[in-house]
Amino acid sequence: MNLSQQIVNGLVLGSGYACIALGWTILLGVARLVNFAHGQLYMLSAFVTWYAMTRAGAPYWAAIVIAIVVLSLLGALMQLAMTRLVIEQNLTSLMIVTLGLGYVIQGGGALIFGGNPQTLSSVLARTKVDAGALWFTWQDVLVLAMTFVLYAAVWLFVNRTRFGSVIRAVAEDPRLAQLFGINAKLVYLGVFVFECAAVALAAALVAPRAPILTSMGFNEVIMTFVVVVLGGIGSIGGALLAGLGLGMFIAFFGAFVAPAYTTAAAFGMLLLLLVVRPVGLATK
Amino acid sequence: MTDSLPHRPLSMLRAVVVAALIGVAFFLPQLFGGSSVAYSTLTTIALFAVMCYGVDVVLSYLGEVSLGHTVFWAIGGYVAALMSVHLGVNGWVTALATIGLSVAAATFLGLVTLRTREFVFSLVTYAAAVVTHEIAFNWDAVGGSDGTVGIPALKLPLGFFTYVGGTQEELWPIAFALLLLTLFFVARFRRSRLGTTALMVHMNPALATSLGVDQRRVRLAVFVISAPITALAGWLYAYQRAYVGPDMFEAYFLVMMLTAVVLVGRRILLGPLLGTAVLIIQQNLLSLGGDWNKVILGFVLAAVLIFWPAGLMGLVDHMRQRWLRKTRTNGRENKRSYMEEVQ
Amino acid sequence: MTAALACSHLTVSYDGNVALNGVSLSVGSGQMIGLVGANGAGKSTLVNAVAGWSRGRPAVSGSVTLDGADISALAAHARAQHGLLLVPEGKNIFAELTVDENLGLVRAPRDVAGRHVFSIADVFNLFPRLTERRTYKGGSLSGGERQMLAVGRALLAAPRVLILDEPSAGLAPRLILDLLERIRSLVDRGLPVLLVEQNVKAALKVVDHLYLLERGRIIAGGPTTVMKSDARIVEAYLGTLAVDRA
Ligand SMILES: Nc1ncnc2c1ncn2[C@@H]1O[C@H](COP(=O)(O)OP(=O)(O)O)[C@@H](O)[C@H]1O
Ligand SMILES: [Mg+2]
Repeated sequence: MNLSQQIVNGLVLGSGYACIALGWTILLGVARLVNFAHGQLYMLSAFVTWYAMTRAGAPYWAAIVIAIVVLSLLGALMQLAMTRLVIEQNLTSLMIVTLGLGYVIQGGGALIFGGNPQTLSSVLARTKVDAGALWFTWQDVLVLAMTFVLYAAVWLFVNRTRFGSVIRAVAEDPRLAQLFGINAKLVYLGVFVFECAAVALAAALVAPRAPILTSMGFNEVIMTFVVVVLGGIGSIGGALLAGLGLGMFIAFFGAFVAPAYTTAAAFGMLLLLLVVRPVGLATK
Repeated sequence: MTDSLPHRPLSMLRAVVVAALIGVAFFLPQLFGGSSVAYSTLTTIALFAVMCYGVDVVLSYLGEVSLGHTVFWAIGGYVAALMSVHLGVNGWVTALATIGLSVAAATFLGLVTLRTREFVFSLVTYAAAVVTHEIAFNWDAVGGSDGTVGIPALKLPLGFFTYVGGTQEELWPIAFALLLLTLFFVARFRRSRLGTTALMVHMNPALATSLGVDQRRVRLAVFVISAPITALAGWLYAYQRAYVGPDMFEAYFLVMMLTAVVLVGRRILLGPLLGTAVLIIQQNLLSLGGDWNKVILGFVLAAVLIFWPAGLMGLVDHMRQRWLRKTRTNGRENKRSYMEEVQ
Repeated sequence: MTAALACSHLTVSYDGNVALNGVSLSVGSGQMIGLVGANGAGKSTLVNAVAGWSRGRPAVSGSVTLDGADISALAAHARAQHGLLLVPEGKNIFAELTVDENLGLVRAPRDVAGRHVFSIADVFNLFPRLTERRTYKGGSLSGGERQMLAVGRALLAAPRVLILDEPSAGLAPRLILDLLERIRSLVDRGLPVLLVEQNVKAALKVVDHLYLLERGRIIAGGPTTVMKSDARIVEAYLGTLAVDRA
């Protein structure tokens, strides 16, 4: 096994994890909401992109835009349905509701797109980069670059703009925010739509790496959760580092220990964290 | 003594009514025509209801959402399958092993999640389920992705003879007995010290702390006793299907457990049973196909929590109160107009 | 001339328990109105209902007008945008945001007709203490600094009327009058203020008009000079010492 190849694989995997986790980082870390349908939204985005490309003949970039628009609309609908629970900050009910909606999306996805595995083929995913003995594709480079750009943009948005302060204010105390003339419901709606748009973009970027199935999505949620928790809930930079770190760990674990048990290994890290640093998990 | 005397005839009456209802319930398959479909549907309702009661205990009395109960469900199934196929042991042995292993797993999971709450607790338990699934899927010693086929009929030696549960008709009495046992257990739990303390920890943590309740212990205890309930349902499920595989971890069972509990309403003894009955009848008799059933099940779960957080019973309560209020205000208005007339 | 703020027949109940019973009052332009009463009398319930806001789940009836326009149907954030600024009792700033970020949350309206516009410089002039704290998180401020920040952000929103719910709560006695006098200086520049105050003595020094609220009803009200010698005020809040001084 080539060590530098494993580092490349780690970066490739890790940037994918971080990219998929971006929406959740904001949703949970900044606005303190949960969305257990995250994995199914990822699945749906991948299929919408695939459908737009193979059935409607759209080019890759246009398919990405379509996926973002479709998912944003879906996210807005979901959030409108859940407004009362969100304003009451009823996380337990929100969690079950999104779990149920995720199941609806899974069933609906299978009805619309069928049960067969499909490949989301992007030109970049098929072009290998020639870098001596190292093996990766231009799609991997794109994911890595986009992940860094997106995280930087989101960090600047949250910490350096008035809108960022507004989101953090609503997360801290939605009622008080109203007295500042802030429409809290609208802010929650915006954040949730962002989460859906971010997962759509992530899926369109990351999903070309492997066959897509309507039953996928569970591993994505677990990896996302590990990334967000490992990074320290609410820390945008932390999530990026955690994503890359987790990718590195999984790449080496898969190469040198057991490739079939990578999710289990990630879970092991989570348990270790729970025992070693349980305070890091306190959200409020 | 004298205090309880007046209640006695009432509780006697209650006992008679309950016994009569149990008797009728036992003959339900015959009442529905005695066909194999009637037996298998009712057996499935009974054992799925038992599965749901495990989640119910945690959700209704602790207020936490365990997404890891599919692990216990699968433990029951895998223990029954592997032990009866490879060791040829009878149902008592596999049931005991199921209880032991599920309690051990719940203790481990309960200990590592001891300090987590709300969605963190849920996510960790969820992760446990995903990971156990991965292991079951990849580990050939437990059947791998193919699972285990050819599980022999459930044999329960009763001293002088052995009860064999081979057909749906023969499994029904066992499922029924397991359901009764579970209901009895949950009813006892609700009135027990642990049950009332758990509810206090859930509803009024400040009061619980001021009374010196060790909340972590209560949470752990409730989680641990909930596990064998779901696990025993999985145990019977293995004999019913004669096959066990990684599909026992499917999200279907998880969503089913949660929906059955919230549909009728939390903290209602028969709630999960009724919820399961409604859902299974839809899926078995009014099915629109697997994917549509998913859409329906998930939609019901989300819709109940969005529109009627207290479940169908809450809805009934709400209607009744509205009706009462309406009749009451009508009465008041009548009175007022009467007064005006007098003046 | 219409009052800057008026409410009529406001009734509020929590879970069927009436906390405010048909209260009407008005704040004239350029006036500072005081609202006093015992703990639990319903003062916060009243001003919250005026602002259309609550941390609980009240049932509210009655109407509120702002500069003559009926705002009863507006949500809390819309009332704030229309220039009705409430600084609530208790937690009234964001602890995890810095002073600058707290102030930056507010956007002044484009149409400033009828509004009292304050710039960020005005706020720092009024509360110089805040200048030194600009990069500090709200959670690290002292009680007095928090009140200054809360009032400051309300001023930045260009209020038509400012409502303050116990701004002196938790402040050292010598700071209370100082804060109230600074607020009085705003009134002298034309801003109408409705002040809820526990410290009746201090309130009497700055307000033009005083209402006394008891068990959800206004039981007395009038110009400060009259209220100073009102038996109910004297007995319950001022004691004999104050009568001597008056
Ligand atoms: N959120 C709430 N839910 C239920 N009752 C409340 C709530 N807020 C206030 N009350 C009740 O309303 C009454 C008036 O309270 P409040 O307006 O806070 O009084 P004050 O501000 O004069 O001290 C009190 O009896 C109080 O218990
Ligand atoms: Mg008050």
